[in-house]
Amino acid sequence: MRRFACGERPGWREIAREAGFAFHTIDGAPYWDESHAYAFTLTEIEEVIEAPSAELHALCLAFAADAVEDERILASLAIPEPVRDTVRASWRRGDPSLYGRLDFSYGGSGPAKLLEYNADTPTALYETAVFQWLWLDQGLAEGRLPAGSDQFNAVHERLIARLGEIAPPGLFAFAADSSGPEDLGTAGYLQDCAVQAGCETILLDLGQIGLRADGAFCGPDERPFAGLFKLYPWEWAFQDAFGPAVAAAPTRFLEPPWKMVLSNKGLLAHLWAREPGHPNLLPAYFEGDPACASLGAFVRKPLLSREGANVEMFSAEGTRLAGEPGPYGTEGYIRQGLAELPFFDGRRPLLGAWIVGDAPAGLCIRESEGPITGDGALFVPHLIEPA
Amino acid sequence: MADDREAQADFGRRRPAEPAPAVTPPDRSASKRSQTVSTVLVASAGLAALGLGSLDRTAPSKDVLVYVDAAACAADGIRPADECRSDYATARAAYPSTAPHYGSSPECEGHHGTSHCQPDPNAPTQFVPRMAGYLLGRRAADWVTPEPVYDHRQGHGGHDGSYCTGSGGKVSTGSGGHASSAKLKPAAAKATSFGGFGGSGKSFSSFGSS
Repeated sequence: MRRFACGERPGWREIAREAGFAFHTIDGAPYWDESHAYAFTLTEIEEVIEAPSAELHALCLAFAADAVEDERILASLAIPEPVRDTVRASWRRGDPSLYGRLDFSYGGSGPAKLLEYNADTPTALYETAVFQWLWLDQGLAEGRLPAGSDQFNAVHERLIARLGEIAPPGLFAFAADSSGPEDLGTAGYLQDCAVQAGCETILLDLGQIGLRADGAFCGPDERPFAGLFKLYPWEWAFQDAFGPAVAAAPTRFLEPPWKMVLSNKGLLAHLWAREPGHPNLLPAYFEGDPACASLGAFVRKPLLSREGANVEMFSAEGTRLAGEPGPYGTEGYIRQGLAELPFFDGRRPLLGAWIVGDAPAGLCIRESEGPITGDGALFVPHLIEPA
Repeated sequence: MADDREAQADFGRRRPAEPAPAVTPPDRSASKRSQTVSTVLVASAGLAALGLGSLDRTAPSKDVLVYVDAAACAADGIRPADECRSDYATARAAYPSTAPHYGSSPECEGHHGTSHCQPDPNAPTQFVPRMAGYLLGRRAADWVTPEPVYDHRQGHGGHDGSYCTGSGGKVSTGSGGHASSAKLKPAAAKATSFGGFGGSGKSFSSFGSS
């Protein structure tokens, strides 16, 4: 793994505009940054990222199977009691999942360490699957990147294939908060994939979703949704007025409700308890567990949090090293052994390994200046070195 | 208004017949990435129309025919006699199971008028209105399901219709038109509600980790 300067494509902003990649710059600050990139060997990709991702996802599914049947586990994840039957039913029914992203700390040596699983509402999908792919494709065509370079990125065709497998017959809706260009872009991209998979689709704002008298969710014209992708966390959806209607609805959701047990930092404590010493896991415990004392330097994470919010870093002596403010934390915390993000030219990359269906499908990298990757991190492309 | 609604419903929706333009690079032999990626994000161009104001939530009325029996239907000549008979048979067969049931005779007569009710032969503690006639479509192609109609007490439930159906539909026979011509207004469906998702959070991206 190395970081190298490759220089921007002249006119990439124009290319982005034509492609519909509207959020390459967010609130005036850059988000997409192709002035440099990361390079991996094929062995690194396959043995350090791809194979462990497949294994960890399988461990997560095994955990989910146990968790939905165990009230104590569901309680430890702060999943409210009225919601548990819905979560359990979606697992027992075999509701399929579409995608997720495992986030790793890895700097070129040793095993990649899992920081969390964004299993419910991951973003950075379009820029991974399409714009990063196009960056490599054009770089190769123009001779600006080494001939024979590849990329760990089958996300696009795997999403289309997966949607084709799992889409229920009927109208398939894609919903997000349309005031967020990144959210809307992600939902719109998945709609595009679904169209290519042969689905009839509609894209809408979360607030446009309706609930019919017959219990089906629907759009403004009241036509029922057979499927509904919502870029909106389940823990929020279940607090909303429509939350109680999910249980009896014939509408099938993506991600399904059972993803709640994975999109929760409590997963990390449970995985460590099930697989202590696993090379890709960091020791992690629920706060209050006396074993927390054995952690040394640690990171305190709310069970439910996004964009690095409310995450705090402590030294072994208990000194607060870093922290991000935010609104989360009322459900409780875990403490996880610290695996600092590596330094490359003063930047700290975070590796995101995409799972589509149940298999690893690609990689994205986001860079931050500080030790906690937040919403201001840059998206930086990657390639696989020629053999 | 109906046309507006159609146009709004289709805005933001794409069908499989409109695939996004795809770029297929030549001579692709790599193994870890997609072979083909459509690079133009067409679908994000349109959200479904936000406005709900033009939606007509009331069920439309249907033109139907109402007769006391198959002979009256056949004599009227609008529908062929054999269709009058088969539709009557359908309605008559539906009567025992679809007639509204009441716990007492006064309750039933409150809805359907004096001497229009009788005990249910299958459940004698309950009362059902007598079948006053049946309704059917003006043409077979109208796909109206034939069903029994019941006398309706003038003014009950704020409805001055002549008859009602087992599901609460209102049947109004025209005043100036042909006696058998009627309008059926189905019982109002419970309204769809909107805006029940999205209240708990705002836009977010979820990459952050540490």
